[in-house]
Amino acid sequence: MERDTLLGLYSDMWLIRAFEQALEREFEQGNVPGMLHTGLGQEATQAALASHLKATDCFFPDHRCHGINALAQQRHRGNGERIMAELFGKATGVCSGKGGSLHSADPAAGNFGDNAVEGSYMATVLGVALASQLRGQPNVACAIIGDGTVGRGEFHESLNMAAIWNLPVLYACVNNGYAISMPVGQGHASADIIDLAKGYGFACDQVDGNDIVAAHTKVGAAIEHIRQGNGPYFLEFKTWRWQGIFAGEFRPEAEVKYWREDHDPILMANEVLQSMGVDIAKLNATEQSQRNMIEEWIAFAKESPSPDLAKATANVYVSWEVAPK
Amino acid sequence: MSDSTTLADPAKPAKKPRKTSFTKALNDALDIGMERFPEMFLIGEDIGEMGGDFAVTKNLWAKYGAARVRDTPLSEAAIIGTCVGAAMVGMRPVAEIMFADFLGECYDQIVNNAAKVHYMFDGQFTAPLVIRTACGGGFGGGPHHSQSVEGWFLNVPGIVIVAPSNPADAKGLLLASIESDDPVLFLEHKALYRTRGDVAEGYYTTPLGKAAIAREGTDITVVATMRMVPMALAAADELEAEGISVEVIDLRTIRPYDAETILESVAKTGRAVVANEAPKIGGLGAELSARIHEECFYDLKAPVGRVDGLDTPIPFSVPLEHEILPDQTNIVSAIRVTIEAGR
Ligand SMILES: Cc1ncc(C[n+]2csc(CCOP(=O)(O)OP(=O)(O)O)c2C)c(N)n1
Ligand SMILES: [Mg+2]
Repeated sequence: MERDTLLGLYSDMWLIRAFEQALEREFEQGNVPGMLHTGLGQEATQAALASHLKATDCFFPDHRCHGINALAQQRHRGNGERIMAELFGKATGVCSGKGGSLHSADPAAGNFGDNAVEGSYMATVLGVALASQLRGQPNVACAIIGDGTVGRGEFHESLNMAAIWNLPVLYACVNNGYAISMPVGQGHASADIIDLAKGYGFACDQVDGNDIVAAHTKVGAAIEHIRQGNGPYFLEFKTWRWQGIFAGEFRPEAEVKYWREDHDPILMANEVLQSMGVDIAKLNATEQSQRNMIEEWIAFAKESPSPDLAKATANVYVSWEVAPK
Repeated sequence: MSDSTTLADPAKPAKKPRKTSFTKALNDALDIGMERFPEMFLIGEDIGEMGGDFAVTKNLWAKYGAARVRDTPLSEAAIIGTCVGAAMVGMRPVAEIMFADFLGECYDQIVNNAAKVHYMFDGQFTAPLVIRTACGGGFGGGPHHSQSVEGWFLNVPGIVIVAPSNPADAKGLLLASIESDDPVLFLEHKALYRTRGDVAEGYYTTPLGKAAIAREGTDITVVATMRMVPMALAAADELEAEGISVEVIDLRTIRPYDAETILESVAKTGRAVVANEAPKIGGLGAELSARIHEECFYDLKAPVGRVDGLDTPIPFSVPLEHEILPDQTNIVSAIRVTIEAGR
């Protein structure tokens, strides 16, 4: 990989990590309402996806996708702070604060929004892909799905329908080993989700989701395959989330150490970049500049007003008004 | 029979009425819709060459091709998911869910997705899709092919529930549903498919959210839906001989419903009966009765009467099914009781 490409991805990963860490801090201080699921530890997977998806493509993010949402928003719209403001429930958020952490969308950034009924958009993605196919557009529709959602019937309905209709769908399966507390090998017939996908007969692959170079390359190949009209693609990212369960850490100590210290996507990329001759000071400056930008976004979110109360009853229907209290 | 407001289309004026079946009226609406909207497509099980379980999509596959009339496997969630996704990018999908009883299979897509994308993303998406489905009992379909499902969706903001009672409205309401930018659940009562009535040829729409006064009267208002409408009209004929004048309102859109027409009528008659086929608890009858009591209390001469299905699943055996489904006799007696109570 070119040094500059990797530097760009390194910077993207820092945007995600800085975003999530600042958000966690604000959440703990009680400034962010609701629930919080972070993408910490999964930065390489998200940065790799974001780097290949165009604004004219579509992605359905999952509950750990603040980072990719912010990256896409910043890249395609130049206002990543609106993702932050959405998480604070503010008027300046991408959905005027009506969606929050689990439902931040901006179609102009290719972001079609999470559905917090985990994995439901495995069905929805088919329609976006079908529209591209019927209209003859070379767009990719991507569903970012956790290993847990593979238990849903929609997984099988979706892969089957995408296969029979040769739809331009990218299934980006983020296998981080657990669904809340359920280990992937205990919840599914195979700990390798690719084994379940293979039966549908379309292209499938796996990648180390913490290795940004490998992930970036494989996402690129998958998207190219789809754009060329070759139908759906299933790509499984093997990764790990820093966040345990609500009660805290439940995973074996050695596993935690491996993923957090020995297989951290940012540290790994940092080493590669240094081996390419990039100065450590430059890498530190990249981190710092992303952290600074995120602090500006936090300030923007905090200073933004709450939504006008009329928003509570707005947009229930297109053709009917709902009366306020 | 209905006062379906017909919006004239200068390009294709509606021609004079012809006796047409409910099924054919729906088929015409789909055909006209497919012609008018190049980005409309049909999707469902066996709707292609076979023309659908109830022949509503007959001949459309031959006319519009397999890309726009799409046969699917038994994947109700994927069918509705496909509709939502396509609608989010501006297409106009019309799904057929073979029996309304199967809507549980795609309930999440309807309730959490179709009904909410416009709201939760604050207007950035719309979901202009239609879900047609065959509902209702009275033909020995048993517990999983006979249910009235409006109550399952009545409590869901964002969804439109349309329920025609006659062929002319079936056509006009379906075309209006296709044109609607809101997601529509379009209920087709199976017992109505073979009924016939005057249907204008060509394009017209019947407005959503507007009830029709199917028969004018002065002593009591009956608000009915789908198959209960012809039953209520027959009950009105029966009672006319006894000097009771019944006004029958065909609700046509169940959500959001036309409170104005109902309340005006009850203010005039002072008595009301609400009739629908679904189980009694928590259903449409409960909502309408509560609303009438709330807003017309001082006009009422008697409590609102209710005609519903019994609170049971639907049994297979024909006499048992008759026992639990409401009919003309139940409407007649509910009217009598309400009239007596108010004397
Ligand atoms: C349909 C559904 N079932 C259950 C939940 C509750 N829930 C939220 S996250 C989650 C686990 C998801 O696991 P996975 O897809 O592996 O994502 P991860 O959190 O590991 O990234 C569950 C069960 C939900 N939101 N939706
Ligand atoms: Mg997981």
